[in-house]
Amino acid sequence: MAAVQDGPIEPEPENEIKTEASNEFPGNPGDASGGVPPTAPVAAVATEKPAAAATDSTERQTLLAVLQFLKKSKLFESEEILRREAGLLNETGDSQGAAPGGAGLGGGGGAEPESGDASSVLSRVAGAVAVAQSANATPAPAKVAPVVTGGEDQPDVNVVLAAYSQQGDPVLYPVYYSGLKRFIDSVLDCHRAELSQVFYPLFVHMYLELVYNQYEKEAKAFFDKFHGDQECYYKDDLRILSGLTKSEHMKGNETLLDFRTSKFVLRISRDSYQLLKRHLQERQNNQIWNIIQEHLYIDIFDGMPRSKGQIDSMSGSLAGEAKREANKAKVFYGLLKEPEIEVPLDDEDEEAENEEGKPKKKKPKKDSTGSKSKKQDPNAPQQSRIPLPELKDSDKLDKIMNMKEATKRVRLGPESLPSICFYTFLNAYQGLTAVDFTDDSSLVAGGFADSTVRVWSVTPKKLRGVKTAGDLSLIDKDSDDVLERIMDEKTASESKNLYGHSGPVYGISFSPDRNYLLSCSEDATVRLWSLQTFTCLVGYKGHNYPVWDTQFSPYGYYFISGGHDRVARLWATDHYQPLRMFSGHLADVTCTRFHPNSNYVATGSADRTIRLWDVLNGNCVRIFTGHKGPIHCLAFSPNGKFLASGATDGRVLLWDIGHGLMIGELKGHTDTVYALKFSRDGEILASGSMDNTVRLWDTVKAFDDIETDDFTAATGHITLPENSQELLLGSYMTKSTPVIHLHFTRRNLLLGAGAYNP
Amino acid sequence: MAAPKVVPKDAQVMTQILKDMGIAEYEPRVINQMLEFTYRYVTTIIEDAKIYSTHAKKSNVDADDVRLAIQCRMDQSFTSPPPRDFLLEVARQKNQTPLPLIKPYTGPRLPPDRYCLTAPNYRLKSLQKKVSSSAGRITVPRLSVGAMSSRPSTPTLGKGTPVSQSVTLTTKVGTPVSLSGQRFTVQIPSSQSSTVKSAMPSTPTVQNVLINPSLIGSKNILITTNMVSSQSSANESNALKRKHEDEDDYDTL
Repeated sequence: MAAVQDGPIEPEPENEIKTEASNEFPGNPGDASGGVPPTAPVAAVATEKPAAAATDSTERQTLLAVLQFLKKSKLFESEEILRREAGLLNETGDSQGAAPGGAGLGGGGGAEPESGDASSVLSRVAGAVAVAQSANATPAPAKVAPVVTGGEDQPDVNVVLAAYSQQGDPVLYPVYYSGLKRFIDSVLDCHRAELSQVFYPLFVHMYLELVYNQYEKEAKAFFDKFHGDQECYYKDDLRILSGLTKSEHMKGNETLLDFRTSKFVLRISRDSYQLLKRHLQERQNNQIWNIIQEHLYIDIFDGMPRSKGQIDSMSGSLAGEAKREANKAKVFYGLLKEPEIEVPLDDEDEEAENEEGKPKKKKPKKDSTGSKSKKQDPNAPQQSRIPLPELKDSDKLDKIMNMKEATKRVRLGPESLPSICFYTFLNAYQGLTAVDFTDDSSLVAGGFADSTVRVWSVTPKKLRGVKTAGDLSLIDKDSDDVLERIMDEKTASESKNLYGHSGPVYGISFSPDRNYLLSCSEDATVRLWSLQTFTCLVGYKGHNYPVWDTQFSPYGYYFISGGHDRVARLWATDHYQPLRMFSGHLADVTCTRFHPNSNYVATGSADRTIRLWDVLNGNCVRIFTGHKGPIHCLAFSPNGKFLASGATDGRVLLWDIGHGLMIGELKGHTDTVYALKFSRDGEILASGSMDNTVRLWDTVKAFDDIETDDFTAATGHITLPENSQELLLGSYMTKSTPVIHLHFTRRNLLLGAGAYNP
Repeated sequence: MAAPKVVPKDAQVMTQILKDMGIAEYEPRVINQMLEFTYRYVTTIIEDAKIYSTHAKKSNVDADDVRLAIQCRMDQSFTSPPPRDFLLEVARQKNQTPLPLIKPYTGPRLPPDRYCLTAPNYRLKSLQKKVSSSAGRITVPRLSVGAMSSRPSTPTLGKGTPVSQSVTLTTKVGTPVSLSGQRFTVQIPSSQSSTVKSAMPSTPTVQNVLINPSLIGSKNILITTNMVSSQSSANESNALKRKHEDEDDYDTL
């Protein structure tokens, strides 16, 4: 651990000067520094090139921090002993990492205290006070005072090491940053794009550090100078930052706190990385190097540097891109096998469930939605991977209906576009916040900002509730149509109001068997309503903050909810507490969707990432970055392989779940995309947006164009074809009605819903 | 009078804030809402600070009091979601338990009843009338609903019993009421009976009316329409009524 000296000659004069400076420095509390310097001057300032210290730097840092702490507590003898034992002879405290740095503050030319790891650590320990002192103190000839500790010191060394702390003179931050800018501008074009990724996280972290250490003025100056250089898609973040000028502001903002503690991921090619590293390890740029080491995670890959276009398409999220390992887990994206159900030719109610698919009755029509081969799809999860409710008789009837409808389904394609039937909610006064249709399109429900939920019948059949107990006891229980008789004709109506929430209702979901309706609201509860009695059955409490979205599983029984507390929860209707908690997002979870096989959950968030979670064990199996705004809608393709997402940036992105890559970008909308739906067979994707249009996209073509060769899979690079125009099949305007929900009926008629907003 | 509209300085500040934060479109009432919020917040903090400073027996409110007031308010009203590491830890624990198996054929799958909202939210109180007074009076438990403001009426012609009450039973459609074995009385305003009041004998008549069986199952209820015709009975009934009024109006929990 002996200090490795490069250029031993140079540091020595520096040391002498330093010790003198330390001796004359007036502001030392106590004799702290007085006692120490004699031993100090010999060894050089810790100038081991960080290259060597890379691996044991943390240990060194810890040791130095401990030493500093001992000195601070005036335990000189212990300090001496430890120092001798550890073989550290240098009084590294002298080189206050702060100012002297690169600013070329004259002072004995070349006497730049190599602010290596040691000094940076010590500067951390010293905290802002040292710098403050240096600022106040006699204008020392750029030689900073020895690390005089006092004032705001950190009691716990580990906390010190881990915490965000003063790393340098605040005045010099702009200098460091401009230095880096100049360097990056000077590199080769091919590297410049990649290295420019560093700007944004560096800027934010430096700014936050200044704020945290209460350098308000410097922070503002730093911000004003450099915020214009950042990429345009970070504009919203920067605006939030601009309002954050005091450290008290930071305490309440969980998203920013998470940002500080989590590592921003950058993907840089090895060559570019070497360039950067070499430059930053030169003396004056070690501040930046420290910040990079502490707050950035650089995922290095071997290969060609990426182009600006490629980088732009993948970046934009609050935590950088996704590490490659994050997207390597195996995902079972196939569909579960449908149970074989005999479809009787003569419409009788009796059917036989036949798993093997071998018809036993006399010439019944074999259902064609069951898998033709008995082999398990390798990409599909086991049937029993997660417990699913069994199929009731009513469910089987539903399935039969479904299959019958499927035979009458219109085949969609570029030549045969769906008809669109749009349901406009009038007189909603901008209060319509959520809409859902049942799968068979017989009911539509709307959630409103006045906390009501309203269910309408789309078909001429009215809504009926179950009769009261008194009436029920009068009916003939043995009659054939008992299920109709239990319905109360007297209170039949076109729509029913459901009251119960105490805040705007942000998400609605019908259960697949049409018995239940879920609604989630700003009052932090998710409510289960019965569609037979039209009353509220359960209120699920768990989120303590507004819940933004909820959805029933395609098989019923499970449902998910996501809210402001940055977690998504998986519930079952018969448990009053959630079964799974999916936490990992940095900001609110705004959209939650089940995969068609009910084994995975996709969540879109305000931190501009989409995560795919495994229901079985709660792990995050995929992270998709690339959106430049909070994500508001997600849609799985019916075959389970692809995911489409829409966000406030107006783009719809297509993702391949198996490989974990972005495979398409659909540009065209000019405002937030709030609704996405794949057609029943997955040939067309419909998107609805705040710009009052519904657009249809050709997915067959989009998914055909994927090239997933090894390189792409290995490195995650994508070159997106600029074919949004070709993929757009049609764009349909409404009369100033933003589209907030889309639904394909079983026969591939597209239904839309929105509130008239003149 | 025709002076141009001067926007107060506070409102100008709010407009500037909105502009700085990049918000270009907003309804004009947003400014008012912001002003109201600011006023309410600041006065709350200052009031709290005053309380803290008097508690610390200081003569003036100083910065520390204000700081404490802000801190307490933050923890109370402006809470933020739990920090990420806490959430990760909780999630890890929760996700370790395997998904529970689903029992087949259990009907509607709902949590245990105490976590549902399906229980009746009222309770019927049975009240035993004093077995006293005149024979012929049926002592039945009464379900009194609403204020019965009857006053002793002199048997005058043409004056109806000024009973104005709403006979709305608390049972609604859809919630079966388990009232097995109870018979109860409902007072029905008998306005038309008043005209014949004087002609009627002084003993109250009782009528049996079968009301909507859907409300109470198949039990019969007795409805007694007390014709308040005589002073004595009126007094008695009034006294009784008044007693019920006090006790039965609200379900005591």
